Amino acid sequence: MRKFLAIAVCKLARFVGKLVGKGSSMPGKFALKVCPDILARVQLPEHIIAVTGSNGKTSTVEMIAAILRAGGKTVVYNEEGSNQIEGVATLVLSHSTMGGRVKADVLLIESDERYAAKSFQYFHPTEFVVTNLYRDQLTRNGHPEWVYDAILPAIHPETGLILNADDPLSSCFAQGHEKVKWFGLDRCAVSSDAPTGVYHDGAFCPLCHAPMEYDYVHYNHIGAYRCTQCGHRKPRTDYTVTAVDLDKGIVTLDGGIAVTLAFRSIYNIYNILAAYAACRECGISGETAAGVLSGYLLKNGRMQTFRLGAHHGTLLTSKHENSVAYDTNLRYIALTNKDCAVLVIVDAVSRKYFTSETSWLWDIDFGQLDVPHVKRVLLSGRYSGDLAERFSFTALPPDRWSVQPDIAAAAEELRSTGNEDLYVVTCFSDRDKLLSRVEKEA
Amino acid sequence: MELRLIHLYPDLMSLYGSYANLSILKRYLEGLGNTVQVEAVAPGGEADLSGADFLFMGAGTERAQKAALADFLRFGPTLKDLAKAGMPMLFAGNAMELLGASITCRRLPAGSPQREVFYECIGLAGFTTVQEPRRLTGDVYGHTELYPEAVVGFMNKCGVIFGVETPLLSSVEMGWGNEGQGSPEGFHWKNVFASELTGPILVKNPRLLEAAAAAVYGYRGETFPPERPRDTWAEQGFAVTAEQLRLRCEK
Repeated sequence: MRKFLAIAVCKLARFVGKLVGKGSSMPGKFALKVCPDILARVQLPEHIIAVTGSNGKTSTVEMIAAILRAGGKTVVYNEEGSNQIEGVATLVLSHSTMGGRVKADVLLIESDERYAAKSFQYFHPTEFVVTNLYRDQLTRNGHPEWVYDAILPAIHPETGLILNADDPLSSCFAQGHEKVKWFGLDRCAVSSDAPTGVYHDGAFCPLCHAPMEYDYVHYNHIGAYRCTQCGHRKPRTDYTVTAVDLDKGIVTLDGGIAVTLAFRSIYNIYNILAAYAACRECGISGETAAGVLSGYLLKNGRMQTFRLGAHHGTLLTSKHENSVAYDTNLRYIALTNKDCAVLVIVDAVSRKYFTSETSWLWDIDFGQLDVPHVKRVLLSGRYSGDLAERFSFTALPPDRWSVQPDIAAAAEELRSTGNEDLYVVTCFSDRDKLLSRVEKEA
Repeated sequence: MELRLIHLYPDLMSLYGSYANLSILKRYLEGLGNTVQVEAVAPGGEADLSGADFLFMGAGTERAQKAALADFLRFGPTLKDLAKAGMPMLFAGNAMELLGASITCRRLPAGSPQREVFYECIGLAGFTTVQEPRRLTGDVYGHTELYPEAVVGFMNKCGVIFGVETPLLSSVEMGWGNEGQGSPEGFHWKNVFASELTGPILVKNPRLLEAAAAAVYGYRGETFPPERPRDTWAEQGFAVTAEQLRLRCEK
């Protein structure tokens, strides 16, 4: 009876929530109050795919759903991004019959890394993708090893892990686990010989703390690592990007499947590969996956184009408090080789909570913007003084960067001067403060 | 002056932009006309602490901290003598915990047969740390007896520190201190500065940077120049954060 009531409450709350335009976690919250173990009482699909990690969850999940649907599967997933247990409950119950059977071939869950253990206490994923683990929202998450420890209890012995072979930390989830598939990039055009960035989280082995060595990296410390003591090293991959041609925007999967990149960033490549690996594990053919992934434009709005005066603008959404996300977008700008201006905005550090914490700015390699085609950098937002202090430690000449704390004034300054390409680097919490002042492109 | 700053375990204890404490101190001292050299010390690496003008260690993960401790113990007797002689040093984040008598770690892997693990530290001071399974985070607004302005920062730790007799922040209006919310924070004895506040506290607090630089001059027996360069951006950053946090304190 409680099960029936919980499902009814969830469906009703979901219906009302949709009418008023909100509430993707609230219905699940109500249902969990009515029946705390409701997620153990429902009949789930054959495949339950979970995706967690510091970066790429939302994009990877979106691509997995698109591929599975192209492969003829019915998929339900938390498109609105509510990725804690309440959101998962909403997702499951609102797509189930009143008897508790989820009406789908695949339940696909983007899971908050800190709360995965709670989300999966009543059921476990059949496939669990961990995209990566590195510094992200330290004000909330502590540090990457703390997050690793938080995810660990969420991993059930029967779950098939799909892990990033190139990440020395998240690859440790394979320790003592039998069912593991690996995805990773071979040495390719984007690789460098040694770790990059202003800090080196991969300097020491996460298992034994002996020094690590690298054959190559693709970004920061993500690549082919080798512990000098305990044998922890990049494993042989099951799903592999075997070649990358960023100029042509093409990656090759498993030696023969070509995928055209809609967005030529290393992040996008990893997300594509993770999605490909997960779908292959669910029986989808490589050709079907590649057909969907080729030219796939993400719908999550993390990259948007617009016009501001004579500038053609691109928003590169970078999570504040996530230096690798920033580094990757700065690298994208550095590789464009076309004259451009860059606007960096730090106004609200988080959209979820208030903090004045800006230590994370010092983890970002802003020095990547010290390339000739970046003609000017404008720093804006409430914390532009902290940003400017950070920039004063880069090699960028002072005449190539300036500060305008007021975002409206910064937009106006750009609108009225120049016609070079414009890249805006900021977070979800701040992007609309700029997007509300530009002409968006379709 | 030719100054020698030592950075202990820069790759191991490098969380939260800790390194910037040393970067800004170096630039500040250079701005005063000094030649400054920074030496990095890796675990097991050779180090001559005795001739240094400043020692620094930043924050690490709890596992990195234990790995650092295993090596750092060899410096304990020397470091205590140097601290007693007035050598300036900064231990930021959970590096501070290594200066105390011990760390008791109650954050153990699931299924561990032990309830806690005890680590002996160098014992420069008598305080003890207990590391709990939960994270203590949040903005901090407090005051030090070194100067009248506020101290701002962010706490991100799992250690509760008991028995600090000479804190760096004698009062905390908002946020976590050594023993809990609103308790005094950090440790300050002679020219030893230690604070669990996250990241580059010398960047965030320009007056604290001056205090550290003054300690370097004092240790050399030199007069701290009355005319010093101002760091406009750091001052602006401090003013914004101090205002934001003060407003929250007043709510």
